[in-house]
Amino acid sequence: MSTVNIDKILKRVQKPTRYSGGELNSVVKDPRDVDIRYAFVFPDTYEVGMSHLGMKILYHCLNLRPDTYCERVFAPWIDMEEEMRGANIPLFSIETRTPVREFDFVGVTLQYEMSYTNILNMLDLAGIPLLSRDRGEDAPFVNAGGPCAYNPEPLAEIFDFFTMGEGEEVIGELMDAYREWKAEGGKRIDYLKKIAKIEGIYVPCLYDVEYNKDGTLKSMTPNCPEAKPRIRKRIVENLDGIEYPDKFIVPFMDIVHDRASLEVFRGCVRGCRFCQAGMIYRPIREKSPDRLVKDAECLLASTGYEEISLSSLSTSDYTRFEELADRLLTLTEKEKVGLSLPSLRVDNFGLSLMERVQKVRKSGLTFAPEAGSQRMRDVINKNVSEEDLMRSVGLAFDGGWMTVKLYFMIGLPYETDEDIAGIARLAEKVVERYYASEKTNKRRAPSVNLSVAGFVPKPFTPFQWAGQDSMEALRRKQRLLKDEIKNRHVKYSYHQSDVSVLEGVFARGDRKLNQVLVRAFELGCKLDSWNECFSMDRWRQAFDDCGIDMDFYTRERSYDEIFPWDFVDIGVTKEFMMRENERAKAAVTTPHCRLKCSGCGAASLCADGRCSVYKEESSLRKIEELKNNG
Amino acid sequence: MDEERVLYDYYLIYEKTDNAKYISHLDFVRTYNRTMRRAGLPVAFSEGFNPHPLLSFALPLSVGYTSRCELLELKLTEELAEEEIRDRLNAVIPEGIRILSAHRGKSRMKKLRFARYIVTPERVPEDIGGFMALKETVIDKKTKSGVKDTDIRPDIREIRLLSNGRMEMILSAGSDRNLKPDVVVKAMNKYIPGYDSGDCEYHRSAIYDESMNEIN
Ligand code: SF4
Ligand code: SF4
Repeated sequence: MSTVNIDKILKRVQKPTRYSGGELNSVVKDPRDVDIRYAFVFPDTYEVGMSHLGMKILYHCLNLRPDTYCERVFAPWIDMEEEMRGANIPLFSIETRTPVREFDFVGVTLQYEMSYTNILNMLDLAGIPLLSRDRGEDAPFVNAGGPCAYNPEPLAEIFDFFTMGEGEEVIGELMDAYREWKAEGGKRIDYLKKIAKIEGIYVPCLYDVEYNKDGTLKSMTPNCPEAKPRIRKRIVENLDGIEYPDKFIVPFMDIVHDRASLEVFRGCVRGCRFCQAGMIYRPIREKSPDRLVKDAECLLASTGYEEISLSSLSTSDYTRFEELADRLLTLTEKEKVGLSLPSLRVDNFGLSLMERVQKVRKSGLTFAPEAGSQRMRDVINKNVSEEDLMRSVGLAFDGGWMTVKLYFMIGLPYETDEDIAGIARLAEKVVERYYASEKTNKRRAPSVNLSVAGFVPKPFTPFQWAGQDSMEALRRKQRLLKDEIKNRHVKYSYHQSDVSVLEGVFARGDRKLNQVLVRAFELGCKLDSWNECFSMDRWRQAFDDCGIDMDFYTRERSYDEIFPWDFVDIGVTKEFMMRENERAKAAVTTPHCRLKCSGCGAASLCADGRCSVYKEESSLRKIEELKNNG
Repeated sequence: MDEERVLYDYYLIYEKTDNAKYISHLDFVRTYNRTMRRAGLPVAFSEGFNPHPLLSFALPLSVGYTSRCELLELKLTEELAEEEIRDRLNAVIPEGIRILSAHRGKSRMKKLRFARYIVTPERVPEDIGGFMALKETVIDKKTKSGVKDTDIRPDIREIRLLSNGRMEMILSAGSDRNLKPDVVVKAMNKYIPGYDSGDCEYHRSAIYDESMNEIN
């Protein structure tokens, strides 16, 4: 056991509290008292990683075990990396400054594709071999989880194993298996074979992959009896029954989300056809207001945070939203803290509640119509009508809000130029709505900000077969939209198109991409999600050097193609996604789970084969309500 | 401000050591506010659009400096015993920060004029007589209007070499005139022939008024 001395270099870097540790509520244990040391790695900077709820949850679960000490590791910023490399300081943990290579496990969370090169850079800084097959008996088990792990293949040669789905329960099983394996005195491969039997665990080296002549996948076959042909994701069915952190680490520096967040539910009842989160987290599982209020009280007392936020995919869909908001407001008013609701939908509840929520801040409201025309919104199954949007922004404008932000995507499947022009028309109507109202202050001008992203087809969505627009095609569409915007109160911002193409390549990538990643890392790619670090030229060179064509990955695919991620069973079936894609072509919408179950397959993940929306009393009541309202 | 509110003035003397030295002043303010909430102290908030706890600091501490004489003033809505305030805060404060004492009333922080620092360089200069005798000591220094060549000599009251390889400096401090010891060390490296301080540690050990009476 050793530790690194970083006192000298901390004096020379920006934002030293990214690395110095000692934050309130960080877990202090004596490493000599534990059997298992787990380094939880977030492959981006401290301020991004510390905002991530999943990390807080697993950190809490692992540290509840007396036999395990989980510590945090983040990607150093460029200046710190230079200092570390200059002084020969390996990547270390925040809590005890122990070199990461001395841990038993290195667990990485995969939140977005553009963090993949950071993983390689961090392994390199840690002195851990980049490829799984090069790691010796003493090396840590390098593993990954998180949403991007659902298509693990682009990283299959880098990680020793992957966890599919929610980690609270399976992480304990992995630790127990580790103790058993240690006691048995087995080899590295024995542990991997042992955990291959655990539901949700994928060990890539236990599978052989064959390709067709055209480069598509021919087969993926287990090469030992322990490996399962299909890996089923793990879910926690009853969220009230599991641990939630009663403490969050309170950072010194300002991080992206610096507040007490409550996880209201997992999954989403809506089935937007572009949305991976909406599919991979199915089915919906809600926490009770009792539990959430208790979580809130604990967190406020232990952190001193001045703000609570509710976290979920679509918070206002929570069945007992009014009750929860009311009880939380009673708490926050008493404690003089704020309550913020990120995915606010004004149409779901009255303005008076919203005013209570955002009493002080009238800064901005966001809406995500995602597409400009009704036809296109039907294609993507975004069940928001122009009327809904106008009612919502109208309420907001009348309530004193001046700025609204609207999110859209371009490059969607089955899109025409008229659909793109529709974005500009819709934005103009929002501006007109401001001037049409008697309640708004006409001496001030509203501002309507459009945030437009290029669509990226993701695995496990009804659009997983779709072609992705080339950079040229996207640029043409951006120009088209820009020319269509004639109202000066409408502002437009666009996400870099080459990043979305790369994101798409890795999202639907296969094992062949491992070498491209390694090459990109060698060429100096890192911190790719930071504009100041991203270089498309380096990436192009990496693909060229490996003789791999990006277009192969962005192309449209046929229904009979075997996908690299087909072996992962997320509950939702491929047949359902095909059905949904066909409905998209015909611009036919599909009702959400509470209106009607569409038999997506996710119910099979529940113990009794029924989704909670069809068994919990509060949900059933909501369904009645919805039916009565037509 | 609401005329009818009865508020109670207190001030705290606290230290910042070890890892806490990396916390910037701005981040410290946030950390401190959260500590007050955790301690459940009846903090008085400003009124208006965006209420924030009422407090003021004597002299912000630079990142990387340790100190045992930090001073801040706060207001409570109830009267509490000084020891209780100190103990309740210390029970929930992050490592490296410690309240040394709490006092009822206003502090004398408006009288602040000088601060005493202990500097630990890798090497001490053999003699500072020549340096102290300089008429002008011009060095580029961060000021309100950007980095400028500034004569810092008038703001050096005293420098002494201590026997343990350290230096003691008494320098101007406050919102009018303020000189930080790292700037002095930079000047020493420039003006003392052959001198190279190496990396230094900086510690603030006392603050004084015009007549060198300690403020605490
Ligand atoms: S509402 Fe639609 S976009 Fe949002 S999480 Fe649910 S499915 Fe995805
Ligand atoms: S099985 Fe039915 S209710 Fe359950 S997630 Fe799928 S569509 Fe929704």
